[in-house]
Amino acid sequence: MCGTCGCGSSEEHAADASHRAGEVTSRRIEVEQSLLAENDLGAERLRKRLEAQGVEAIGLTGGPGAGKTTLLEATFRRLGEAVQAEAVIEGDCAGDLDARRIAACGARVTQVATGGLCHLDAHLVGHALERLELDGVSRLWIENVGNLVCPAPFPCGESRRALLISTPEGDDKPAKYPALVAAVDLLVITKTDLLPHLEFDTRRCIAEARRVKPGLPALLVSARSGEGMDAWLEWVGTGGL
Amino acid sequence: MHEARLCLSLIRLAEEVLAREGGRSILRVELEVGELSGVAPEALAAAFPICAHGTPAQGAALNWRAAPGRGLMLRALEVE
Repeated sequence: MCGTCGCGSSEEHAADASHRAGEVTSRRIEVEQSLLAENDLGAERLRKRLEAQGVEAIGLTGGPGAGKTTLLEATFRRLGEAVQAEAVIEGDCAGDLDARRIAACGARVTQVATGGLCHLDAHLVGHALERLELDGVSRLWIENVGNLVCPAPFPCGESRRALLISTPEGDDKPAKYPALVAAVDLLVITKTDLLPHLEFDTRRCIAEARRVKPGLPALLVSARSGEGMDAWLEWVGTGGL
Repeated sequence: MHEARLCLSLIRLAEEVLAREGGRSILRVELEVGELSGVAPEALAAAFPICAHGTPAQGAALNWRAAPGRGLMLRALEVE
């Protein structure tokens, strides 16, 4: 809804504003500056700082229950002793359930309880890093708040971002939430062990995602059965597919 | 939900521009909102009067136009 007159569109009150502007000596200033620049700059600073410490940050995004923490657990199980070089920032609105799960895997973790805020941003991640000892860490996972909308315009210092969509959520998610698709480097379709029980068309899901972001790599993964975990670990470890 | 925070960034930026260019108040704010920005202009507009209260942007009109891509840009200000 429009904040000026409640009309709901920008055109309806444009005339009203011009009228008001016409009553006084007004002038127009071209600005052309991004409102996202503040966070973008903070994220870029974080990314460079981490890089200088030999740490690559990977972002995990997806709706609540997409399997972000479960995929991390499965990843860490596969790493064995090397899990000690992994660190995680867990973002959730409340509680530390995910941080406990990650700590049980042997990775370093800090939880950010956003208090209802719908996404992490560079500022929150910067403060979370104050609580995380990164000596001996080579990879930092930034698990965003479960949300298919709000993380999109707020990079947090990641060098790569993955979007997880689980099969029970439906194959139409990339078409419905294009902004997040446009903001990631990999699509992971999770819980593929459930495919026999669902009407989820993996090809449709991937095609919709690539309509938004042509060439977006996609993986089919089940943390439970282990399907696709090799390809996932390859993406994680090699810097791309 | 993040639109209020973006709105504060908008007003901060607008105030900087006003201070730099000179002027008493902001009459109109023109935005460009990328279709893939993940930002709802309606929510920005709803937050705007509250965020602008007590600033030189108080009472300003907020116009936006959609654009392709992921950007969220302050295009122009009308000031007096």
